[in-house]
Amino acid sequence: MEDLDLINLWKSYDKKLEENLRLNRKNAEDITKIKVTYLLSSMKPIKIFTILVGIIWIGIIDTLIINLFSFASIFFLVSAIALSLLNKLALGIYIFQLILISRVRISEPVLSAQEKLASLKSSTLWIARILFLQLPLWTTFYWNKSMMNNGNTFLWTIQILVTLVASYCSVWLFRNIRYENKNKKWFSLIFAGGEWSPVIRSIEFLNELGQFKKEEDSAYLERL
Amino acid sequence: MSSIPNAESFLAMIETNKGIIYKVANSYCRNEENKKDLIQEIILQLWLSWDKYDTAFKISTWMYRIALNVSISFYRKEHRRNQITHPLPDNILLLQENQQQGHLSYDVEMLHRSIRELREMDRALIILHLEGNSHQEISDILGLTTTNVSTKILRIKQELKQKLSHLQSKK
Repeated sequence: MEDLDLINLWKSYDKKLEENLRLNRKNAEDITKIKVTYLLSSMKPIKIFTILVGIIWIGIIDTLIINLFSFASIFFLVSAIALSLLNKLALGIYIFQLILISRVRISEPVLSAQEKLASLKSSTLWIARILFLQLPLWTTFYWNKSMMNNGNTFLWTIQILVTLVASYCSVWLFRNIRYENKNKKWFSLIFAGGEWSPVIRSIEFLNELGQFKKEEDSAYLERL
Repeated sequence: MSSIPNAESFLAMIETNKGIIYKVANSYCRNEENKKDLIQEIILQLWLSWDKYDTAFKISTWMYRIALNVSISFYRKEHRRNQITHPLPDNILLLQENQQQGHLSYDVEMLHRSIRELREMDRALIILHLEGNSHQEISDILGLTTTNVSTKILRIKQELKQKLSHLQSKK
């Protein structure tokens, strides 16, 4: 098939379309009644729900820290403060990312707009990595002086073992939650929800864009 | 840059360029329901960006950028963007009954199928090429250099022809 055939084929489609495509003016007018888009109104309810749950959760931890500050054990305070900081960091990244996504100008050249959008979406994996870091804190917050003074060797062996396993898992997950591992069973298990598929797809697309750009660079080098 | 936040001029612009919206949406969405949603989303984004339209660019360049950016993002979501976010009106662009996709010639149908099999960015490039845009215009829309536009078009056309021949051999 020649180039001209392709173009003529497209033109024949174009002609048919030109003759038969109608604009429903009434429906198009309705669109022009939508005046302003707020970040909140353009967000899916699941995202608003996630932010609300995050804020409430951090609020509960902070309230506990403030109210129990003078008499809680040092282990509880350190664990709770670290937990609160990690959750704040994750929530902060999530909100910042949503704001940045909403600010990508849709009228930008396609390559740069898509690159920005895909890299922002794919950075959601960072939130999961940060949140997994809190795993060992859940095994230390209940430690107290009484446990120190009265705990037997068996209790402490189990306790230390659990904390070590949790620490190992959290660091391992922090290091291994990467796109390269997307076909591993444990990865699919963690990121099985529908909310994650656009993130994974964004990373795939980012790789495609990388290849697309690489092609551009090699074509340029070939010409040199 | 001039500000044109006028609904009348917007509707006239959509009327004149409705083909661009339909063709881009059709290349990224085969399912009729999803296509309707995508067309709504493109027109909504065009409207929301209308007062920021920079007259330094051709209207078609601006439209292609938005239509392609929305379509590629929409396609990537892999599911319908439902109307929870914006209660949008149904059916803004209509193809007359007797000229639905099914009535297009077999070759045109195969061309669409082959285009839909291309990667997202390649698809954007070939649509712009078939639409008769110059390499300079394509480079403005996509953000590539003109020399690379020509290199890529050659490569994609080869790929498209192979896909077409393959499909036609099954005829």
